Amino acid sequence: MTLTLLLLIPFLGALGLSLWPRTLCEVVARRTAIVLLIIQLLLSLRVIFLFDSTDGGMQLQEGLYWLSSLGLDYRLGIDGLSLPLVLINAVLTLVAAIVSRSISQRPRLYFCLLLVISGAVNGAFLSQNLLLFFLFYELELIPLWLLISVWGGSNRAYAATKFLIFTAVSGMLILGAFLGLAFATGSVDFSLTPVTTLQLSMGGQILLLSALLIGFGIKVPLFPFHTWLPDAHTEASTPVSVLLAGVLLKLGTYGILRFGMGLFPEAWSVLAPGLAIWAAISVLYGSLAAIAQVDMKRMVAYSSVGHMGYVLLAAAAATPVSLLGSVFQMVSHGLISALLFMLVGVVYKATGTRNLDVLRGLLNPERGLPLTGSLMILGVMASAGLPGMAGFISEFLLFRGSIEKFPIATLLSMVGSALTAVYFLLLVNRAFFGRLAVTPVDPNSGPLDIRIPASTLVEQLPSLMLAGSVVFIGLWPTSLASITESATNSMAQLMSTLSIVLPIGVTP
Amino acid sequence: MPTLLADLGGAGLGMPSMGDLSLQLNAGAIAPEVAVLLALLISLLVDLAGEKAASRWVPPICYGGLGAALVLLALQWNSPLAPSFFGGFLADNLAVAFRAVVAASTLITLLLSWRYVERSGTPVGEYAAILLAATVGAMILCGSTDLVSIFISLETLSVSSYLLAGYMKRDARSSEAALKYLLVGSAAAAVFLYGASLLYGITGGATDLASIAVALQTSAKPVAALSLVFVLATVAFKIAAVPFHQWTPDVYEGSPTPVVAFLSVGSKAAGFALALRILVGCFESFNEQWKLLFTVLALLSMVLGNVVALAQTSMKRMLAYSSIGQAGFVMIGMVCGTEDGFAAMVLYMASYLFMNLGAFACIILFSLRTGSDRIADYAGLYQKDPLITLGLSLCLLSLGGIPPMLGFFGKIYLFFAGWADHQYLLVVVGLITSVVSIYYYISVIKMMVVKEPQEASDVVKEYPAITWNLAGMPSLRAALVGCVLVTAVGGILSNPLFMWASSTVAGTPILQQAIAASGGGAAALG
Amino acid sequence: MTIASFTQLICFSILSITLVLGALGVVLLPNIVYSAFLLGGVFLSVAGLYLLLNASFVAAAQVLVYVGAVNVLILFAIMLVNKKENLAAVPGLPLRRVLSGLVCGGLLALLIRVAFTTPWALPGPSPVGEEATIRIGEHLFSDYLLPFELASVLLLMAMIGAIVLARRDVFSSDIVTGAPVDQGLIEKARTPLLVQNPVQEPVR
Repeated sequence: MTLTLLLLIPFLGALGLSLWPRTLCEVVARRTAIVLLIIQLLLSLRVIFLFDSTDGGMQLQEGLYWLSSLGLDYRLGIDGLSLPLVLINAVLTLVAAIVSRSISQRPRLYFCLLLVISGAVNGAFLSQNLLLFFLFYELELIPLWLLISVWGGSNRAYAATKFLIFTAVSGMLILGAFLGLAFATGSVDFSLTPVTTLQLSMGGQILLLSALLIGFGIKVPLFPFHTWLPDAHTEASTPVSVLLAGVLLKLGTYGILRFGMGLFPEAWSVLAPGLAIWAAISVLYGSLAAIAQVDMKRMVAYSSVGHMGYVLLAAAAATPVSLLGSVFQMVSHGLISALLFMLVGVVYKATGTRNLDVLRGLLNPERGLPLTGSLMILGVMASAGLPGMAGFISEFLLFRGSIEKFPIATLLSMVGSALTAVYFLLLVNRAFFGRLAVTPVDPNSGPLDIRIPASTLVEQLPSLMLAGSVVFIGLWPTSLASITESATNSMAQLMSTLSIVLPIGVTP
Repeated sequence: MPTLLADLGGAGLGMPSMGDLSLQLNAGAIAPEVAVLLALLISLLVDLAGEKAASRWVPPICYGGLGAALVLLALQWNSPLAPSFFGGFLADNLAVAFRAVVAASTLITLLLSWRYVERSGTPVGEYAAILLAATVGAMILCGSTDLVSIFISLETLSVSSYLLAGYMKRDARSSEAALKYLLVGSAAAAVFLYGASLLYGITGGATDLASIAVALQTSAKPVAALSLVFVLATVAFKIAAVPFHQWTPDVYEGSPTPVVAFLSVGSKAAGFALALRILVGCFESFNEQWKLLFTVLALLSMVLGNVVALAQTSMKRMLAYSSIGQAGFVMIGMVCGTEDGFAAMVLYMASYLFMNLGAFACIILFSLRTGSDRIADYAGLYQKDPLITLGLSLCLLSLGGIPPMLGFFGKIYLFFAGWADHQYLLVVVGLITSVVSIYYYISVIKMMVVKEPQEASDVVKEYPAITWNLAGMPSLRAALVGCVLVTAVGGILSNPLFMWASSTVAGTPILQQAIAASGGGAAALG
Repeated sequence: MTIASFTQLICFSILSITLVLGALGVVLLPNIVYSAFLLGGVFLSVAGLYLLLNASFVAAAQVLVYVGAVNVLILFAIMLVNKKENLAAVPGLPLRRVLSGLVCGGLLALLIRVAFTTPWALPGPSPVGEEATIRIGEHLFSDYLLPFELASVLLLMAMIGAIVLARRDVFSSDIVTGAPVDQGLIEKARTPLLVQNPVQEPVR
């Protein structure tokens, strides 16, 4: 029942908000949403206590028969892979609701959509039925499209439509793969059972797995399919960027791990070297493209492309350590990118620009944004993988786990990690260090003026919380590892037993 | 039938006794149609008392007739099967289900119509009568098992549809639509007659589908293939499958909007029932051929309907092309010929009823308030009219197959059935084109929801105050809210609908035979 | 070949030739009055063919209904609407004619081929001759009762529809509100395709 509550609270909350009889002012809508999201967070925390961290399988399963003739049943469950993601979702949606301060137009719709997205993402992480997962995966599409296209920047229509089309295509690929999978055995079964694919021929498995990989690769996003992400991020408002980077991209990597690797272990081990190369290309491309950006938000967006590539690398290697690292990377990327997007949002709000050619010396304690700048430096360090922060743990685990299997791809990815330091140092160096530019840096632009007073500590509370949790995970990784380890171990075990039984490249 | 003829011929004038005859007629099967017919006649009589009386009394009479028809249909559900009119009509579950869809679509269409008809200054009584006549024709078409009954009911439906299309005779576009529809429809009817006469000829004088099916099985001749092509062309015309779709956009655009609502749902449902009766029930020995033809038609319909819909600026024209695409999706279920395939067809028709009529309710309301139908004129509507915005958004999302709307489940079921029957090409094209369809449905929603107040169209800027107190408006609102509610919530609670669809298939002998035949064929292949 | 069958063949040939030539004339002649009269000739030849098939009732019905009613109605319509319309020229008319001629020719060839290759169930049921009327009556009140009754609905509807379309009085104001009516509720901007210059009809 706890898991169902995790879905019901946001959905019923959204319904209640939308049916609220009187006109709803922004403050009330926001407070209601925040209260609901706090309840959701508390429930998610309660799941940790109900959760048995020694069990690698699905726990707290619950369900109902729904449309049995379609093979669509309401089945929920949670394991060490989905629990951290559910937690991240609860935290980041709450953070997004807290930072949604200046929603002057249509606050009711805004917070409804926020709640619907949160519920849908929870549903996707908890689904134990492929069609149910697809339902939630598609459910999140339209609300996010609205969030970008109503409350976005000047070019929002283009970005939102691009996002919509890419994601709709990804959904159709996933549905096609799921249909193919369900009929693989002759009997219709959409439940999550990995053994069914073993009865497929290797060609069929690879075909379906490729469809899944491209489908989820669009969502992650991986290199050739990533073009929607920078546009969407640039046009989306700060809270939406936080959600998009922190939570929604994780749907892609979660899908790759759970359905790609989990359901097609055999084909996965065949494709793994190619996937590792793909991951390395994606990482390098993302990092190099980030260096070339002058828009801070676009830079962070490209860094997401790079950092999400690590997860694919780790999944390809599929050793216990690398898989653990991939979960760490999902969590830490969620926290760090959310933090960075929020800070970029603060800078944008204060200065009216995100252009790195214009911004200078924002760390100035008098008239600049010292707290924001400090947090930014921390976030950048975490993202670049400095020890003591979450990024270090995840990258260390990732590379340590993958290097035995795919040394070249891992080395290339490490280069990408080093490039992270390059572009983020560029960002910090240009925007925050140096002399606060009162005179125009760029002859084409006017003098930089900081239009609003520096944010207070209370307003920065969400950022501080996120920064705190980044450091917390960095200093005490066992907290997360203890939840996840048994699940990733059992996944890795499945892969290794398969590769012993069936040597790579040999079709049964 | 031949035995009956022999009986009649042998006995000469010695007709069976009256009781015997009425027993053999089994006329109770058409009780729902009689209810509709009574409503038709009463509303014509009431219309004699003047326009005021008509606008007061015709609506309740129609509700009564259609409501009674729906109740009678519910009573016929799963009743023991006995052919009526010596094999001219069969009230199996397929017929009951499709007649219910037709009757419900008429009921909802009438709820939407009153205000529109009065606003356009056309007589209400005749309008209702013609629409009810179309309903009678469509309902009998759903259950006909005899070529003559099929032709006459098809003509009743068609002639009434032509009249309805041209009902706004002051508007040249409406007359244009009626003329086009009449010309193309008559040609289609002629082609059907030609095909039917060929069937009559090669079977040695049989008109009921069962004997024709037997005759076709024993002696498959090239002329039978020709008659298949002719009959199939008419069916394709009725369901507006590409390349027999050319009448659709012009007729939809010119006709009065409530009529379009009926044509796109009720008439199409009757067309699909006819397709099942003739192709599955009668041309079983030509299974391969008609399935191939239908696959081609489905592919063309999905691709062309959805792609051309992208470029439309008129709401009705856009929905016309989208309905062509939707018909293509439904045809997937028909091509499968499996239990799931037929059930998915029935389910999708039922969900299409609600989502499409919901969308039309919103369009009618908008055109009543603004007199416009252009998509661009919907810009910024959310501020002035949240009900239309919400209703139209939900219905269009459902048509696009976005969860958790009703259309999502219907579409998934169709793809599911198609994949189970290894129709990979159809399913893949269906998946791709449904992405395309999401794009154009979304662009309407974008107009309504995303545009800022200052970007609103002139029509919306001068939007009249919302009032519901005029006669005919409350019924329009009731239909709108009802359809939107079913569309939005029906998906989550769609289990009864799934049961209903599968028991439709279970209670229909011709479908069961076809399933058994295809299952046997698959087993033989495997 | 007996004299009877020979006579039948000659009658059939004459009737068929009249039929085909008349039908071609209906389609091809530019003067619509000629077309209408030729149509009457076609109907009469078809009635003759029915007579050859020993279906005297159908032949009589054909003459009464088609020649007596439908054709006369067509002539009346032509006389009443004796107006020269300058229709807009259709672009690429010769090409369209060639194409549709090809399609029709192909269809004809296909039909002829099929008609000659099919083993028809010959001879068909023996003609009932004078009993035909009785037999048709029996059928209409037994197994074809449903279409027969439905045809009455169809005719009723056609009649009402004709009246509705022909009637001139359209209400000038809304029954309920009294506001002036508006039949152009549908998209106002587009001009219809058939009329070159739409005449603005005054609202009465």
